[in-house]
Amino acid sequence: MSIRSGITTSLTRWVFILPIAFMMLFFALPMILTAVWSVFERTMFWMEPGFTLFSYENFFTSARLLNFLASMYHSSIAVLICLVLGFPIAVFVRRRIPQAAQHRVVLLFILPFMVSETIRVFALRPVLQRNGLVNGALMKLGVITEPLTAILYTPLGVIIGEVLSFLPFIVFSGFLAMEAVPRYIFEICEDLGANTFRVYKDIILPLAAPGIFAGSVFIFVNGIGVALLPNILGGPGAVNAGLIATQAISALDFPLAMAVSAIMTATLFLLLYIGHRLFDLTHILDPVNK
Amino acid sequence: MTEYGNPVTYGLKWLYLLLIVCLLMSPVFYVMYISFNENGFGARHYVFTLDWYKVIFTDRQMLTALSWTMKLSIATMLITIPLSLLAAKYYKTTRHKVLTVFLLLSPLFVSSDIMGSALLVFFKNLNGVFTFVGDKYSILWLQSWFELGFTTALIGLIIYTIPYAFIVILITMGRYRQQQTEAARACGATGWQAFTDIEFPQIRPGVFSACAFTIILAFNEYTRTNLLKGGFDTFTTVLVSEMLNTGMSEQSYAMSSLVSFIAIAIIGTIIIVTLLKSDSIAQRERVKAEPGSNES
Repeated sequence: MSIRSGITTSLTRWVFILPIAFMMLFFALPMILTAVWSVFERTMFWMEPGFTLFSYENFFTSARLLNFLASMYHSSIAVLICLVLGFPIAVFVRRRIPQAAQHRVVLLFILPFMVSETIRVFALRPVLQRNGLVNGALMKLGVITEPLTAILYTPLGVIIGEVLSFLPFIVFSGFLAMEAVPRYIFEICEDLGANTFRVYKDIILPLAAPGIFAGSVFIFVNGIGVALLPNILGGPGAVNAGLIATQAISALDFPLAMAVSAIMTATLFLLLYIGHRLFDLTHILDPVNK
Repeated sequence: MTEYGNPVTYGLKWLYLLLIVCLLMSPVFYVMYISFNENGFGARHYVFTLDWYKVIFTDRQMLTALSWTMKLSIATMLITIPLSLLAAKYYKTTRHKVLTVFLLLSPLFVSSDIMGSALLVFFKNLNGVFTFVGDKYSILWLQSWFELGFTTALIGLIIYTIPYAFIVILITMGRYRQQQTEAARACGATGWQAFTDIEFPQIRPGVFSACAFTIILAFNEYTRTNLLKGGFDTFTTVLVSEMLNTGMSEQSYAMSSLVSFIAIAIIGTIIIVTLLKSDSIAQRERVKAEPGSNES
């Protein structure tokens, strides 16, 4: 092998590692460093190296913790609603739609996702507010006589926003997860006379668990991390981790913002670790060989 | 029982599926509906007008922001797609598949505000290091490398869009048979020739779809761009600041509708073209598999 071709071969090998190196440098490293920056000392406009747990103390001993826990609770409700509304769609597509058309049907759920999240969240204001679409429709139908005021600027508004923003992801992950459930299994279940509840409980859920878990984690983590949702749809008390972090940055409290980021990263890794131990999440990538 | 089960429940399930899609799209459609009303949101009388759209194109700040957003989106696409292609090729051959996919897909699971905050502090620190080195060794061009601005916003958007482009390209590559590359190499083609002449033509629809997704995602992104952009404005940052400061004006409705309409039109076209192409490819494959059979 000539020197030139040797150099070309080794360059080619390195070129393929470029995306990995890029992600390591600009994604993994900053996320890991949040834990380091979170223990730095706060200065007037920035921070300086040191070791203090003040930011964590600030987070865990203030109303921020309660707000964080409340956002976790609301996010969990959103996950449940998304599962109930979205997962049966994934099952229906895999079970009843001809195989050649399955991907096309799922593509329909990409459409809402391609509209800016900012626009989708803001668009919910005229839909949910006092003289908006929902109240107008309910009053026209005679269901209510007075407009409902408990939707927008309440936790309910945030949950609705989370469901409408993230529901497509449960359809996508559910669709992927259902690849682990061969069609003939449904035929066997039907032949044996199993009802829908038993098919879900004993067949679908255990086999599709890794995908369902991944979709749920995605919704949960984004529910507690996307600041726009409580900021636009929640009331004055609606705060989640993302909003705490951005508010801390606006207040130039960078160590606090980094502490929140580190807590969120730790929460994500803990959830993924639990999921991996319970369901072996690698099977999402290779469901057929499970 | 047929493959589709009971026809009534089958129809009802389809209806439910379409209802959910409509439900997800309803806020956007409602905003579009309001944007054509001369009297704006909540008015008793609906009078159709295009005036709010005309106003957008006379708004200098908005036009500047749109131009920045387009530059940022195209630059993101130009870097994200080659990186995703390389990543997908690497994924196919590496033994460390789990680690690779974990690294490439993790940004999906980190919310925009958390990732944006972490990158903001990272770039501020990095800029400090570069400025220090630049000062110390009098290398002036080093000093502004990671100052908050176009480059930092671009990196944030690349990190955000890579997982989506990677998935789309990987799925398309899944249909490509690696033996074709091996056959081309055996016939004397270089790795690059095998890729450009044999593999790329077959994965082209996936790559083009990934380009469209990347541009739309980068165009629509608000949080990361807002935290990392430095001095200039983008479409979404102008929109959000207008909405937060003055509330939803008729012009905001028109801007939101226009951008949503363009995004839906692009993706709708891709979906339709993909469906038509996959139909013809499937038909050709059927004919190849059964040479004696009729195309019909």
